[in-house]
Amino acid sequence: MRLRTVRAIYRKEMKETIRDRRTLVLMIVVPVLAIPLLMMFSTHLMISQFKRVAEETSRVAVMGAEHLPEELGRNLGEAEGLSLETRAALSDRDSTAWMKALDEGELDVVLIVPPGFERALLDESPTKIEIAYDKAEIRSDMAADKVSGLLESYRDDVVRDRLRQRDIPEEVILPFESVLRNMASARKLAGQSIGGLLPYLIILMCFTGAMYPAIDLAAGEKERGTLETLLVSPASRGEFVIGKYLVVLTTGIIAAALSLASLLAWVKYMAGIMGGAGEEETLVGLQFDPATVGLILLMMLPTAAIFGGVLLSISVFARSFKEAQNYITAFMMIILFPAFVSLVPGIKLSHRMALIPIVNVSLTIKTALSGTLEWSYAATAGLSMAVLAALILLFVKKWFERESVLFRM
Amino acid sequence: MIEARELSKHFKDGKRGLVRAVDGISFECKGGEVYGLLGPNGAGKTTTLRLLSTSLRPTSGTALVNGIDVVSNPEKVRSQIGFLSGNTGIYGRLTPREMVGYFGELYGMSDEIITKRTDEVFSMLDMHDFADVRNEKLSTGMKQKVSIARAVIHDPPVMVFDEPTTGLDVMSSRTIVEFIRRCRDENKCVIFSTHIMSEAMRLCDRAAIIHKGRIFASGSIQEILERAGEDNLEDAFIKIVGE
Repeated sequence: MRLRTVRAIYRKEMKETIRDRRTLVLMIVVPVLAIPLLMMFSTHLMISQFKRVAEETSRVAVMGAEHLPEELGRNLGEAEGLSLETRAALSDRDSTAWMKALDEGELDVVLIVPPGFERALLDESPTKIEIAYDKAEIRSDMAADKVSGLLESYRDDVVRDRLRQRDIPEEVILPFESVLRNMASARKLAGQSIGGLLPYLIILMCFTGAMYPAIDLAAGEKERGTLETLLVSPASRGEFVIGKYLVVLTTGIIAAALSLASLLAWVKYMAGIMGGAGEEETLVGLQFDPATVGLILLMMLPTAAIFGGVLLSISVFARSFKEAQNYITAFMMIILFPAFVSLVPGIKLSHRMALIPIVNVSLTIKTALSGTLEWSYAATAGLSMAVLAALILLFVKKWFERESVLFRM
Repeated sequence: MIEARELSKHFKDGKRGLVRAVDGISFECKGGEVYGLLGPNGAGKTTTLRLLSTSLRPTSGTALVNGIDVVSNPEKVRSQIGFLSGNTGIYGRLTPREMVGYFGELYGMSDEIITKRTDEVFSMLDMHDFADVRNEKLSTGMKQKVSIARAVIHDPPVMVFDEPTTGLDVMSSRTIVEFIRRCRDENKCVIFSTHIMSEAMRLCDRAAIIHKGRIFASGSIQEILERAGEDNLEDAFIKIVGE
């Protein structure tokens, strides 16, 4: 293996890669721009949708409004964000029509007050009031919450009145209060929510960043008829495989590093704008110190090496650019499935998990981001990936020596 | 300069079983001579040339290129050969100067020699006007010249042409034909394959008629015509192959 030849091949392939707009887009533009934009857009959309629903007036129909106690009726009528439609009659026909309206989304909630409701309250005999709503609709669900909140506070008033009439202190029915106190650190929460998304995206970017160069460098050369000129040059098969492999590896690493940098910037930005919305603890506090960033890049190195090797092998086997693309799209599903594991809550990094390729990278990055990584797991994961990368490199070298692969026309 | 000795290449094919693409071919081609491999598509011409240029390894037999064995020393053989085929492409996103320089590096030439030799070759082929334009923007004729320049940057003693004019227009074909003559005049050993008999008659000093991986006849064009008793190479070919 002559270093000068490998360097010449690397330099030439890199030059060509950088001049290819398609590759540049997938290696630089997508990781830097599209993903954060996409996430920003979807988050904004979600928030604004939520806000819109929350601010909207809920349409509540009261069946049997004449049975409502006056005070409760007033409470409902004066409540913010509720538009009340009352109807005295409670015929079966009306009932059906209203339920249909609820089903069709013309009404958000139908409050069903049974006859004698007010009487029962005065008599202190048991009774019930029904809130009909459509849980599948956010609007209806939120309206039901509002209505049931109003009913509950009215019920508390009634209870308080009854106690007062009997001279009983409130503590009798409220012996103690239970308070929920969230003990998870901000870092841990963050690691669990968006920390799960980051490893997946970084691995995905690494794959797509390396994809086009890999196709271009092998299947592309076959298609253009330049592979044959390379085969008759004195460069050995080993030299040109290594040269090409290093280019694919480089693009994969660059894409992963860029996506990491831009996702980091995105997280910081989101933490800033969402600070007021009370979501702060789920965004800030992600572990992004130099050691973690270094570890992530270190984990991405064998990942990119494995992707590069596999992509090049598929690519050189294909007869044309298009064929390579088809194989690789199919393969992408297989390789990205294990990366998805970081998005599944509850899967923890263990020594066994640390042995499974890609899964281990995904989980290591996730736990590192949440600041709960045990270094022995990371070492196992890194070692497992490095061994696999080395095996794949050996395979690629042998694969490129096969005439049936190189001349598969 | 080229000496093929019982050269054979067999493939295993899923549908056809064992394919004897080249089946014990022997011939010799000297410096200053143009040697033609004539035969229809699938005769084994391309495979033979690939064996000579070491992109394929022979199943049995061997060949010497400028005295170097293709089996035991393939990488050295490749530095002796300039290879050009009708299908060999060029890198679209490189300029002719970059592309030729790249191959110079692969041939182990120093930067200084590459610069000097590139200049010589570009002058010879009249390429200076477009030496720094990206290949993808060039016309077919210009691209053909880039291919030629790529093949001769290391000034090889042996030139291998595999159906070099296939798919080319009249002007580009002419460039190739002239270039082949020039190689002969420079005392290089030229081997070229074609299925176009008129081209063979114009260019070849000697030739071999290949069919189904074997040589059916060989010698000077005149000898081949006399053996078949025809005065036209195409008729001679049909008669010799016996179809």
